[in-house]
Amino acid sequence: MDSKLTSTAYEECVAATASIVNPAVEQWCEGGGRVVGYFCSHVPTEVISAAGLMPFRMRGTGSDGTELSDAFFSSINCSFPRHTFNLALQGGYDFLDGLVCISSCDHVRRVYDNWKRNLQTPFLTIMSLPRKVEDAQVGWYHEEISILREALGKHFDVDISDEKLWDAIKLHNRTRRLQREIYQLRKGRTPVSGAETLAIMVAATAMPRSRYNTLLEEILVELRQREPRNGYRARLMVVGGELDDPSWIETIEEQGGLVVADSICFGSREMWADIDESLEDPVEAMAKYYIQDHPSCPRMYGDQPRRREYLMNMVREFDVDGVIGERLMFCDQWCVEHYMNKADFKEEGIPFLQLDREYISSGKGQLRTRIQAFLETMGK
Amino acid sequence: MDKNAIKERSLERYKAERDWFAFLLEASDLMVGPEMQLQSKLLKILVESKQKVVDCVENDDPFIAAYFCNAPELFNAMDLPWFMLMETPFLGASAPYLIDDIQGAEEIGIGTDLCTAIRLPIYYIESGLMPVPTAVIGLLSPCDGAPMLHQVLRHNKAWRNIPIYAADPPYSSDDRAIKYYARELRSMVDFLEEHTERKLDMDRLKSVCEESNRTYSLWQEYNELRRAKPSPHGWEIGGPQAFAISQCFIAGSPKCTQWFEQLLECGEIRVREGRGANDNHEEKIRLLWFDIMPYGWIFEFMPWLEEEWGAVIVMDMFANFPYTLVDTSTEESMFYSLAKRNLIDSPMIRQARGTAENFSADISRMVKDYHIDCVIWPGHMGHKDGAATAGIMRDTCRDLGVPFLHIGLDLFDKRYTTVDEVKSKVSQFFTAMDLG
Ligand code: SF4
Ligand code: SF4
Repeated sequence: MDSKLTSTAYEECVAATASIVNPAVEQWCEGGGRVVGYFCSHVPTEVISAAGLMPFRMRGTGSDGTELSDAFFSSINCSFPRHTFNLALQGGYDFLDGLVCISSCDHVRRVYDNWKRNLQTPFLTIMSLPRKVEDAQVGWYHEEISILREALGKHFDVDISDEKLWDAIKLHNRTRRLQREIYQLRKGRTPVSGAETLAIMVAATAMPRSRYNTLLEEILVELRQREPRNGYRARLMVVGGELDDPSWIETIEEQGGLVVADSICFGSREMWADIDESLEDPVEAMAKYYIQDHPSCPRMYGDQPRRREYLMNMVREFDVDGVIGERLMFCDQWCVEHYMNKADFKEEGIPFLQLDREYISSGKGQLRTRIQAFLETMGK
Repeated sequence: MDKNAIKERSLERYKAERDWFAFLLEASDLMVGPEMQLQSKLLKILVESKQKVVDCVENDDPFIAAYFCNAPELFNAMDLPWFMLMETPFLGASAPYLIDDIQGAEEIGIGTDLCTAIRLPIYYIESGLMPVPTAVIGLLSPCDGAPMLHQVLRHNKAWRNIPIYAADPPYSSDDRAIKYYARELRSMVDFLEEHTERKLDMDRLKSVCEESNRTYSLWQEYNELRRAKPSPHGWEIGGPQAFAISQCFIAGSPKCTQWFEQLLECGEIRVREGRGANDNHEEKIRLLWFDIMPYGWIFEFMPWLEEEWGAVIVMDMFANFPYTLVDTSTEESMFYSLAKRNLIDSPMIRQARGTAENFSADISRMVKDYHIDCVIWPGHMGHKDGAATAGIMRDTCRDLGVPFLHIGLDLFDKRYTTVDEVKSKVSQFFTAMDLG
């Protein structure tokens, strides 16, 4: 039996991932710190950090129902925004001083409209994310980031200078580098499970960034001394969108499928590239990163060939035996993306399994059965 | 398969649709009355447009795939025949093979919770049942499904080398957004000039835009008539048909304007004579159907509304918007106006592309202007952003004091919620609200 990570640094990450108002957030708020929530990996969180605010990625962790949000959303909406908005209606996000929404998908973009009409968060805005990844779109997003910078600065009465933006970019790039180091360790005989990795990754979005970087350094020391994982049947990669629940990965791993790589919103796509620190204009650097350099998701049209290449490289680099495509029910973007992924993996002879799920998973029985069957079809 | 067999297969559905409309045309020719003449004219235009694409494929002439909200006046000015990739779900939806094709989409593994209007073209592309054009103008709004459809198109081996351009629709709707979109439309023209050997002549564009302005002015005049009680027309004429003709088939042509002149004339006569939409059934409920029509089962449902309940669709999502008239004074003003019209005025794009403001603003405006008794949001399974706006629409209607019904159905696939179930929900609603 493989041992669990035990350091207090790891435990702090687990606590941050397992709840919304975690100890790190509480401490930050008690010290007078202010928090700005955000949806989606395309929000330039560096601007929030540069304003001296703590960026907090919106989740529905711990939600036990959607009774309140059902008055606004419908049964054909993704359960992620429904649970998250329900939590907010229950007061679970009252600690936010602001919220940055974005036009990321048909479900999440409507959180803004419903939030605006029903909740009193002092600062609320929505960013217009382009659909394409060309230079004209970098230009558009440059303006969007500038608008956000100005609005945040004005509302919170802070001067978000270029210098502060560069400091924040460096801070966030440091996170990315440290996280990549963890992923490097997973390439061979990995000392860390997929579930542990996800807990560490989610924590980045739920605590002050400098604190998180310190924790990451400690975790890396622990991982380097740790024995590699044993006794698994296959090395798997998970591909998909909004997956922030380590217990879902844990269920897969309990069946013997060790998750060694991913392309998910809280995973490698968050940190595979850095924001270019050599450019002169920090806004330009962020616009370029969030539109072009950052590995894209199906939200960005025209970039599927690059996404395919990214996945195939991951499979090779991480010595992956099989791929799981996860999707939240009613998500059109991942529905069609996985339809293409399935064909692409088939062409490369790589086993692929698509799993539709609810954001808050009830009962892992079916997941176990599907994974067992998948491992068996792979001859593992 | 050899080249000719591939071509033949790609036209299979297209020809079937052409023949379906030709059949309807024959039937409508036998019926009398000015409205029927309008229907016949529309059907004739449909048949001609289908035939044109068939001819282009067979003769290797340039033609493109595009959308109504891509500023079709530009295609007209460039003399480029075009068809809509999503045409079948909207036009041929009552054709007999629809359910088989939805099943076909399921069999190739496309998720069933994806909009049927997206699933079908994906199926046609993947199975070689879609005419392959010279170039494609894609669509990246109003929903997540539309860009994914075009991503599949680029992924498909037979389509991979077909040049494609898609204008990027910003999420905001201010002056900055319109200017950005105007630049995107200009890039679209550059792309078309490069790939179709057709040039855009600004004088020609000016005259097409002037013609389309005439059309839109007539349309607005006609819509005034629908305020009358009883409304001169219902679901059968003047709503989606006016949209189809002005934006999908002959945008900016004199023939289009003539059709609207005749529509206006028909409406005026009816209003003068105090005649409602259905000569045999009195108007009892004035309905706003706030979405696309249920094309997959329209003939099983819409007449029933009038016959059983005297419920007349006085207005619908496609029938009335403050369409921007194109300012033809300069090249820049033309592109700016076209960008505004296509980004902000086009139905469905208008509501679903950006923030939810237009859902409530349009409902409020139409309810007041057209003396609406109740609003039905059908709740099409593809309209995920609309589904997340249901609460906002309900609140808007409550503030207006007008009953609101959200059904939950598939506008194209009648197995999702059967026509009987829809009828029963609507009947219960009318009864509970004491309407009719
Ligand atoms: S999973 Fe899909 S539908 Fe759900 S929030 Fe993400 S992109 Fe939107
Ligand atoms: S019918 Fe709705 S969901 Fe379907 S393609 Fe159109 S806008 Fe998108």
